[in-house]
Amino acid sequence: MDTNDQYGGHHRTPGRVRLVVAAGAAALTLSAALATPLSPARPQAYAADDGGRVLTVAVAQSVDSLSPFLAVRLLSTSIHRLTYEYLTNYDPEDNHVVPGLATRWESSPDKLTWTYTIRSDSRWSDGRQATAEDAAWTFQTMMTDPGAATANGSFVSNFEKVTAPNPTTLVIKLKKPQATMTALDVPIVPKHVWEKVDDFSKFNNDKDFPVVGNGPFVLTDHKPDSYVRLKANRDFWRGAPKFDELVFRYYKDQDAAVSALRKGEVSFVAGSPSLTPAQASSLKGEKNIHVNDAPGRRFYALAVNPGARAKNGETLGDGHPSLLDQRVRNALFKAVDRKAVIDKVFQGHAVEGAGYIPPRFTQYFWKPSPGQELTYDPVEAGRMLDRAGLRKNADGRRVGKDGKPLTYRVLCHATDPNDKAIGRYLQEWWGELGIGVTLTCLDNVTDPWLAGEYDLAFDGWSVNPDPDFVLSIHTCAALPATPEDTGATDNFICDKKYDELYARQLAEYDPDKRAALVKQMESRLYDLGYMNVMAYPNAVEAYRTDQIASITTMPAKAGNIYGQDGYWSWWSAVPADSGDSSGSSSSTGVVIGIVTGVVVLAGVGAFFARRRRATADERE
Amino acid sequence: MTTGTGMTKEQGSSPVRSRSLARRRRRDSAARFWRQYRTHRAGLFGLGALLLFALPALTAPLLVGSDVDDVTDAPGGPLEDPSTAFPFGTDRFGRNLLGLVIWGARVSLLVGLLAAVLSVAIGTLIGVTAGHFKGWYATVTMRITDWFLVMPTLVLAIALATVMPRSLLTIVVAIGVTTWPTTARLVRAQTLAVETRPYIERARALGGGHWHIMSRHVLPNVMPLVLAQTTLIISSAILAEATLAFLGLGDPTVVSWGALLQDAREAGAVSSGHWWYLVPPGVAIAVVALAFTLCGRAVEQVLNPRLGVSR
Repeated sequence: MDTNDQYGGHHRTPGRVRLVVAAGAAALTLSAALATPLSPARPQAYAADDGGRVLTVAVAQSVDSLSPFLAVRLLSTSIHRLTYEYLTNYDPEDNHVVPGLATRWESSPDKLTWTYTIRSDSRWSDGRQATAEDAAWTFQTMMTDPGAATANGSFVSNFEKVTAPNPTTLVIKLKKPQATMTALDVPIVPKHVWEKVDDFSKFNNDKDFPVVGNGPFVLTDHKPDSYVRLKANRDFWRGAPKFDELVFRYYKDQDAAVSALRKGEVSFVAGSPSLTPAQASSLKGEKNIHVNDAPGRRFYALAVNPGARAKNGETLGDGHPSLLDQRVRNALFKAVDRKAVIDKVFQGHAVEGAGYIPPRFTQYFWKPSPGQELTYDPVEAGRMLDRAGLRKNADGRRVGKDGKPLTYRVLCHATDPNDKAIGRYLQEWWGELGIGVTLTCLDNVTDPWLAGEYDLAFDGWSVNPDPDFVLSIHTCAALPATPEDTGATDNFICDKKYDELYARQLAEYDPDKRAALVKQMESRLYDLGYMNVMAYPNAVEAYRTDQIASITTMPAKAGNIYGQDGYWSWWSAVPADSGDSSGSSSSTGVVIGIVTGVVVLAGVGAFFARRRRATADERE
Repeated sequence: MTTGTGMTKEQGSSPVRSRSLARRRRRDSAARFWRQYRTHRAGLFGLGALLLFALPALTAPLLVGSDVDDVTDAPGGPLEDPSTAFPFGTDRFGRNLLGLVIWGARVSLLVGLLAAVLSVAIGTLIGVTAGHFKGWYATVTMRITDWFLVMPTLVLAIALATVMPRSLLTIVVAIGVTTWPTTARLVRAQTLAVETRPYIERARALGGGHWHIMSRHVLPNVMPLVLAQTTLIISSAILAEATLAFLGLGDPTVVSWGALLQDAREAGAVSSGHWWYLVPPGVAIAVVALAFTLCGRAVEQVLNPRLGVSR
């Protein structure tokens, strides 16, 4: 599933990247502006050595793993969408389910047996036929090997048996009805390659290139934090991509990525998680650059530590006890001015938060009723805190049950500027209530997150057309088995009523009834106050129109390009014919670079001149 | 009786006279110092630049108000161009950048001074004791000094700032404990030179202990060196603070020049051409660092007898 948060994520960010990122970012920022004027106006990025058309995309997120059994990050799962077929896909027009590796599917009357017809015109890149046997093996491996269930295990936990009676028929028997049977976001891997793997929890699929696949692109090379290279699959059953090569090139600094776009070194920049308002507005005026500003599929929330615990009942971490009171959580959120977040921080490039699922998924979008809504009202928030027994002391600070002034630790991603900006607002909003805020911004928030060592945290997930996954991460079943284990849980929420609704929606095949249940879950989640959605950030991305003539957004009307639920954007991208227009328009960044360079050189020169004179004085 | 009273009178007045003598001597030497310092044009320029920054920084609460870094009631829109209302434009929260640069001077100068004092204090302590005690103690401390000397300072400071909680104190400590080795080496060399002088031997023969010799005889003699070294280290400490804040290792809620640059970078000011977001804090860092260096070199030349000969 490509559900994970786009911006580095709190899940499994390798710690050692930290210094490199920090130092690299600094080096890039300092050098980017100075270095660009020297590079050729139109570098080889667009045309490969063999004359093929190359689509270069600037990315920042590291690949966590290239194994479809392990990868959860947006970039990695996007690569899997491009290199492996899934049983089904989503239509770019309106997200309805369309055939993928399976051409047809039907269920038995009791809805417990599903039969898929596998297409016979899909070949692996080593020439062998992709069959039902490959699909059956993929699911069976995930069912039997816990290492292979790491990323997508939730899809198969309810499977009883998977068989392939013949090369074009796949039969899945279920224990209980499961609503996600036409939205199994699991890459199907070639059995004849993968059955040689010993340990799925360690194999990262990054040694043997090109990687055998059957998607629209074939993965040909990967150098961590440098590039990922894919070649067009000429035999792809839906038709070959128009570009010959697709390269994800790393720009850990977003300013450098934008400069590269201006220079034409890359064709597309998505930003991480999106371009800043300033970058978007400055690119809008640029010739040959199109800015795509569309409703995103992410939600952006303030998660509360609900007293982290494991399935065996042991608690972990040190979340603030006062946050176990629902009135306190609701009061805190009532003091968060969501309108200011949209206007000031996102500067209009986001939609005000309501339910858990973004409005783009109209079917599942839910809004609190006027009576239920936690509208911005700091005065009422103060009263709610009073009622919860958190009264102000003589200094105007609220004190907890233990008599100590309240200070909450807010965990934020150092890689996301919005976290820091909103953190500053929280400090002032909650400061008015008499509550202190310590902002802990880390490049890698995984460790305190998994250990439950925080009070509140910034959180965000990309939502799939089928919301099962993002709903599943708040069930009790997702909690870690023991405090030492890692569970699929997002922030340790475990609520009986929510779980009941989750089980009912998963077993509900009627789309409308299921949507109603999902909305009830969202309502429950909203009231609980553990997951407070502040905004749905837009996807703000830009591409060069002199390199990409057209590209499919998803959904077709006002949709995003990077990180789609499918391979549509890169598969459909059409190269622009004209190779003449040079990308070296008068860009302000470059001018600043030159000016800064000259100033710095002059300064250094003057300084050394002085020093020379000074030492001349010293010499006798 | 008369002789007796005369005796008591003399006994009573001599400490007073010696104290006033000392005061006059100090006043004279300060005047001499200033006379010599005045002859260094670069030093004067540095001093002037420092005053230019220090005065607004000290009076910032009156000049710009302590609510200049409030984000909730920021006066302008995000990233406004420079105008008469906002001479340096506004930052991404809509705050007045001129006010922020003045406010940021407080943090940058404070951290720079504290870190330099900490660094020089550690360096002096190690240097004087190593020079005085010699033997295995000196060997051990000097090897530790060497180890810190060859470690890349920035990497060490980043590592320290990463593991410690994010606050101004962390930055001060991170800079302080990584930049002391040069001072230690300098001070040790000077201590060795001072300790060979005959009067130290005399003091020792008269029963002066380690503490007496180090504090009464060695320290006053290395003090000019320490003073000059402090002034020089301040500029590198300010740069280090800006670097760490720029790399996002400082307290994200504190306004300093480095943090302003980091904010600007995150807002995408570089690629979107909002130069006024970057230039004022950048120039401020450069000018203050330069000013401290100029002052430090001038002080060094005045106080260091070997450098002073040529004048």
